[in-house]
Amino acid sequence: MPRSLIHVLAWPLLGVFLIALPHVLSFSQQEILAYLVFNVLLVASYRLLTLTGEWSLGHVVIMGVGAYGSALYTKHFGVPVPVSMLLGAGTAALIAMVLSYPLFRMKGFYFLIGSFAAGEIIRLLWKRYREPFGGPKGLKRIDPMPDIDIGIWSFDFFEPVSYYYFALAVVAVCLWIMWRIERSPVGLTFHAVHWQDNLAESAGVNVRAYRTLAFVIASGFAGLSGALMAHYIGTINPTSFDVEQMVFVLTWAIVGGTATFYGPILGCVVLTILNEIVLREMGFEQMRPMIYGLVMILSVLFLPKGLESIVQRLVGRKPAPGALAEPTRMEDRA
Amino acid sequence: MIAKFFQKGVSRRKFLGTTASAAGLGLVGSTLPKRAFAADKTVKVGFLAPLTGPVAAWGKPGLDGCEIWAEWVNDAGGLEIGGETYAVEFVGYDNEYDPAKARAGATKLIREDGVKFIMMLGGDTWAGVERVADQTGMLFSTLLPSDLGPETTTLIAPAEVHPVYNVTGVEWMAEQHPDLKTAVICAQDDALGLPSVATYLAAFEAAGIEMQQEPLLFDPATTDFAPVVTKLISDNPDIVCLDTCYADYVHPIVEQLFQQGYEGQIISCTADFYDQMVEKTSKEFMEGFIFQFPDFDDPELNKDFINFKDPNKFFEVYNERHPGEWGAVSWEYASIMDLWAAAAQKAGSVEPDAVLEAMTADGSGKHAFGDADWWGEDLFGIDHALVGNWPVVRIEDGKARIMAYKSIPEWYDKHGELLKKHMADFGQMWNQRG
Repeated sequence: MPRSLIHVLAWPLLGVFLIALPHVLSFSQQEILAYLVFNVLLVASYRLLTLTGEWSLGHVVIMGVGAYGSALYTKHFGVPVPVSMLLGAGTAALIAMVLSYPLFRMKGFYFLIGSFAAGEIIRLLWKRYREPFGGPKGLKRIDPMPDIDIGIWSFDFFEPVSYYYFALAVVAVCLWIMWRIERSPVGLTFHAVHWQDNLAESAGVNVRAYRTLAFVIASGFAGLSGALMAHYIGTINPTSFDVEQMVFVLTWAIVGGTATFYGPILGCVVLTILNEIVLREMGFEQMRPMIYGLVMILSVLFLPKGLESIVQRLVGRKPAPGALAEPTRMEDRA
Repeated sequence: MIAKFFQKGVSRRKFLGTTASAAGLGLVGSTLPKRAFAADKTVKVGFLAPLTGPVAAWGKPGLDGCEIWAEWVNDAGGLEIGGETYAVEFVGYDNEYDPAKARAGATKLIREDGVKFIMMLGGDTWAGVERVADQTGMLFSTLLPSDLGPETTTLIAPAEVHPVYNVTGVEWMAEQHPDLKTAVICAQDDALGLPSVATYLAAFEAAGIEMQQEPLLFDPATTDFAPVVTKLISDNPDIVCLDTCYADYVHPIVEQLFQQGYEGQIISCTADFYDQMVEKTSKEFMEGFIFQFPDFDDPELNKDFINFKDPNKFFEVYNERHPGEWGAVSWEYASIMDLWAAAAQKAGSVEPDAVLEAMTADGSGKHAFGDADWWGEDLFGIDHALVGNWPVVRIEDGKARIMAYKSIPEWYDKHGELLKKHMADFGQMWNQRG
């Protein structure tokens, strides 16, 4: 089949697959599917940040800023949930903008540690102040997404399938925007800032401004994923956004690979299915941490360019033009 | 976030001793193997608690205890309910103390496994499950009554009224050692530590014991407890209170108290795996350590008013199967099952609403440590906590021994306002949450 035809058919087929998917899953798998969609947005936004060469340890906390922001806007100001989600995302972007001033005085490993410290400060503020953040217990009974009736369709967003469709639509739009950004001159400049920052600077590129831009945009999307999560689960607390969660995001990105747009998404999907469905279904409920860790070690040893390299070999193509970079790995930064 | 994994506290689970091997040997699959019995039907009960991760010590031993409970019930022919005989089967789901996973787990247990009752540790995870409970009407239990509120109509706290029972330890200690006049307290700054701090402060105040310092709240990520302990004992207090710290904190704090030469009284909510603490310090140092959770081989548990069936045998079987893993929750979930089974038999049904109605109808119930009352509106906004006597335990010659049973309601009748004041100061009253 001609490659162009495959390309034309791929997106509609993917769309049909994603729409049909929840109907072949069990109830608990539908729940996991909904969380998977939030996490896809989170990890995709993380890759956008890494395009400029900086790896952050505060991305999950920024996700939490969006979650807390959105929850508080609905709780205290009565803002409708969809609007509060956008405001939460905006708040995350705004906080990222503020953090960028001290953080982008650093690079590489120092930025990594600085981002961790900044994230911990935010997290500890949530724990410290019961008003308005709820202290260690966090926020509970966060307003859910209101049910919607559109003609013959009725969406009860307590149900995972309804929320999945809602989140899928939101995340699809976000991924499209991120993909467009990466393919735009701005995205190419992000790559240039990563791989040839001195050259880019000599050509008149404001390297720091572009790093800040990537950080802010990525944080906005991370904040939106947090908001989607908060209004579904109905509760958030500082532990939901601690460094252990960040390790997951890093793992998804590392195992999936970051040379392509889909690499981290692939990592997130495969590892989540492995951890939450396959191992549980196989009866390895309490051995999952050990097996999951083993899989990660094996993938780093035997798939150093990530799961995306398997896909590339299967379809026989190199990373897309927008992804000029070799796989961006933590060890490269050291 | 859906994910938490191996990074989370592998070292912390060292207190479970044989985590990996135990998982490999006995815990592959958390449902009970089906046994041969005369039962007509099987009723499934959900066990939705952390089975891995740093909080696993308050989940996994409970499931192990439940498996023994079910085995005994099923071997005896099952439960006679409404003219039919039911075998009991537990279906476990590891929520990793994550609200999102707890929600997914509750959905699975209710909608896929068809359970009739779900036992939880509670805490952060209850918040993730609350809407599922609202929508389905499923009966849930929690070990943490701070989850209760006027709207949690299908949630019960029938085993432990944490942290209110901690008042009994302080009361007994003050009666026995009136010379102890000053105290300090430390706790992790989280949802478990804070209400317990409020309770201990009320209990100390009621007993006329003066606090030397403000409560020392440390971050749950703390690993070096030397500076914590140095500050704690800097004024040479008569009593060091370890609040409701996780085992991961109690052990290093006690080691530090030993190494830094503290010679006063220690009181704590729990002392899980205390034999390891005795090994790390000394019998002499641990002598007189007061806490609230007995070993079930204690002869005091054979008294007539104890409702837990054959506690000594239960302890023996548990330790044969899971040596070194006996902890505070090993018996609690099983004791909840005693209450549930009695209520189901009384109702003649396993349906959640009928069982709840039968359980709470006359305002009293048979708690593991004696007859008790459904109580809590004052503190939790709803009378869904089963409160009665609670044991005070002391380590003597390296072994935990029950010293007395003290009445929680009697203490509350005298000092309830004090408790409410301290709870309110820490934002822990039901109407101050979230």
